[in-house]
Amino acid sequence: MVSVINTVDTSHEDMIHDAQMDYYGTRLATCSSDRSVKIFDVRNGGQILIADLRGHEGPVWQVAWAHPMYGNILASCSYDRKVIIWKEENGTWEKTHEHTGHDSSVNSVCWAPHDYGLILACGSSDGAISLLTYTGEGQWEVKKINNAHTIGCNAVSWAPAVVPGSLIDQPSGQKPNYIKKFASGGCDNLIKLWKEEEDGQWKEEQKLEAHSDWVRDVAWAPSIGLPTSTIASCSQDGRVFIWTCDDTSGNTWSPKLLHKFSDVVWHVSWSITANILAVSGGDNKVTLWKESVDGQWVCISDVNKGQGSVSASVTEGQQNEQ
Amino acid sequence: MEELDGEPTVTLIPGVNSKKQMCFDWGPGEMLVCETSFNKKEKSETEPGCPFIYIIRKDIDVYSQILRKLFNESHGIFVGLQRIEEELTGKSRKAQLVRVSKNYRSVIRACMEEMHQVAIAAKDPASGLQFSSQVSILSAMELIWNLCEILFIEVAPAGPLLLHLLDWVRLHVCEVDSLLADVLGSENPSKHESFWKLPGNTQTLTELELKWQHWHEECERHLQDSTFAASPHLESLCKIMLGDEAALLEQKELLNNWYHFLVTRLLYSHPTVKPIDLHLYAQSSLDLFLGGESSPEPLDNILLAAFEFDIHQVIKECSIALSNWWFVAHLTDLLDHCKLLQSHNLYFGSNMREFLLLEYASGLFAHHSLWQLGVDYFDYCPELGRVSLELHIERIPLSTEQKALKVLRICEQRQMTEQVRSICKILAMKAVRNNRLGSALSWSIRAKDAAFATLVSDRFLKDYCERGSFSDLDLIDNLGPAMMLSDRLTFLGKYREFHRFYGEKRLTDAASLLLSLMTSQIAPRSFWVILLIDALPLLEEKEVVFSAEQTYELMRCLEDFASRRPVWREPGVQRLQEDVENTKLEMLRLALARNLGRAIIKEGSLEGS
Repeated sequence: MVSVINTVDTSHEDMIHDAQMDYYGTRLATCSSDRSVKIFDVRNGGQILIADLRGHEGPVWQVAWAHPMYGNILASCSYDRKVIIWKEENGTWEKTHEHTGHDSSVNSVCWAPHDYGLILACGSSDGAISLLTYTGEGQWEVKKINNAHTIGCNAVSWAPAVVPGSLIDQPSGQKPNYIKKFASGGCDNLIKLWKEEEDGQWKEEQKLEAHSDWVRDVAWAPSIGLPTSTIASCSQDGRVFIWTCDDTSGNTWSPKLLHKFSDVVWHVSWSITANILAVSGGDNKVTLWKESVDGQWVCISDVNKGQGSVSASVTEGQQNEQ
Repeated sequence: MEELDGEPTVTLIPGVNSKKQMCFDWGPGEMLVCETSFNKKEKSETEPGCPFIYIIRKDIDVYSQILRKLFNESHGIFVGLQRIEEELTGKSRKAQLVRVSKNYRSVIRACMEEMHQVAIAAKDPASGLQFSSQVSILSAMELIWNLCEILFIEVAPAGPLLLHLLDWVRLHVCEVDSLLADVLGSENPSKHESFWKLPGNTQTLTELELKWQHWHEECERHLQDSTFAASPHLESLCKIMLGDEAALLEQKELLNNWYHFLVTRLLYSHPTVKPIDLHLYAQSSLDLFLGGESSPEPLDNILLAAFEFDIHQVIKECSIALSNWWFVAHLTDLLDHCKLLQSHNLYFGSNMREFLLLEYASGLFAHHSLWQLGVDYFDYCPELGRVSLELHIERIPLSTEQKALKVLRICEQRQMTEQVRSICKILAMKAVRNNRLGSALSWSIRAKDAAFATLVSDRFLKDYCERGSFSDLDLIDNLGPAMMLSDRLTFLGKYREFHRFYGEKRLTDAASLLLSLMTSQIAPRSFWVILLIDALPLLEEKEVVFSAEQTYELMRCLEDFASRRPVWREPGVQRLQEDVENTKLEMLRLALARNLGRAIIKEGSLEGS
């Protein structure tokens, strides 16, 4: 049974483009075409406006919360080509950094796993991807990957942090040798996997080809301890693919078609334990998918909008058993 | 592959325009839904969208006060069952498992009773109705569980089987006053019980069957002889006792449901029914009772599946019909202990038991205090329990220090070092932001986070520079081996030690320590001048504290420092500070020179004597 437990009136004056819960589900960040970013305290079914952040000069497309160990930090990206990083200092939210290195709309921002430090990836319509790394004392170092995708980059998503080799406790003070990777999706119909080399430069590691139109979103699934990596991608072509790679036997990614929808698919996202994939499409519905016994992906629910009360209970994974 | 039973259900979110597109995101325990327009254009052509964001949850039963007790108590039974698994051997195993099953059922009944009271006492009819429906659901759950207990756990053989079924039905049928009801309900069964002579029964099934045959034939003879012709009531009664279905069905109003009909029918026609034959009678009883007027409800299908001994079907149907995972998770776990489930390899959880337990436990994590129960459930899921726990436990809001400590303890007990580190870092950061440096330092140490420890130590040192004193002395003085976590922290600890030596008048120790702090390179650049100036009072003591050798060292440090100081400075205050510093350094040079002289003399004299 699914129930609405809270309805937050954001008072945005124009279309909302993104809404993100913070790490603990206590705060909600929203952004809109009205150029503002708002933060609400939503504990216990309440809604208290904590901040109304102005600074963008165009519609704001996405917001992303950083890991709480870095404090209360939120990133936003906008049509105005800017990425703004907001921080809560002494109880008030303010702009702590502004990144203006792109020539077009910045479409997507994604924070790296906290193990890597405070790093933000940004994908833009100018085809470039920039990586902002916090180096301390209010300073951010920028690395840019130009022409990551021709025409434009629509989405970026980090791979979960996995320590290569053995997982023994590292001696204190030493950072384990992480291999940093992320995926990006673009208007060249491709999904690209990027890897940081030893010299700190980012290199294109792989190209995943299967879509026949712009890739709108990519989502790298959280790690559940299995030796496989999984990425979901969706596209203007109405298809959603699940890409898997067996980490032990090398670097080959194989796509599996989740479904061909009748309209553009805009957004894919994984639940925190990676067992459910949510797909938002142009058909005004959100569908939830789960993997079944034999590796087939099964739709377990359609979340739709409509008048009237919540209807029959959601049928869960029981249909998946042999 | 088994085909899907049907299209997935559509869940409607109330009050939202279905013509617009929907934006969706996962929260840690909930889902966010709002209206949006995906086609990113600079100006929105249509009217501005709806400003509402809907926060949606599954499994909100978790929030019911009364059900909470059910969750708490069943948790105890669950954990107990996992723990005694190794001890469950031999003949007593079945008895113990039955006992566990009865425990679960009594917990359900207690919850039902409480909810019933609340339903009666409810002030407004709407909530009263809601509670009543909850009571029915709980009652259905207990009904199903009870049947499963009889068929799967107790594994009653022919003979006792019917008695158990009689008890089962009796427990769930309301008492009605009427002679016929008595016949159908309590009277005859007890007559039969004594007839059958319960536990300690030495008669074999065959002997019982013979006796029953004998009695049955006698009844039939009476009917044939029209013994009861005078009273249609008694005749009807006789027919019923012969298991005449038509006669039984005539009393339909007194039979609440088809399974009541089934058991009564069996009682009079096939009391020694074998478990494997049950399903035939069950299906026909259902069909006869419904009489083609209505179709089976979900509950009916579940019971039928149970009579067919199709455990998987029972679990599947229950999962669909019920709104939360509590029932199927606990029942399946118990059945697994009875070794009744074949291993089904699922992507999530190596078997169905684990799959259901994971779902149930995940739901608990949405609640601010029930999450603690969830921890134990994850512990008993060997495949994915640990990683699920890792992912969920990090998302628990650390609203109070107490809660944070509780979470940490759980992680530490399970050697979840990554989570411990992460949580400690979050708490350290929070403390720093609230200027609680001592707290921040202890969290950094617990997190073994050298970088953060350095950051906090720097803050301490900065505070000292500004105020001339340290806060949280207790903590710094008792760092112990933790001091080694970072150079800066070591410096902080040692510098405090220097102060302590000086305070205790252990001047030679203080002097040596001060010197080593300067020469070991762990002192931050900004602190050098302070260290040098700290040497002054030691040099001005009556006795010679620094040896000649040490004095040479100090002189070298001084010149080293002086030569490296940046010449360019901002005018104004900095200039003033620089002047003050310069004066002090001059004084130091003087004092060093003087000390050198005294030291040489002192050492020279000693050597001589």
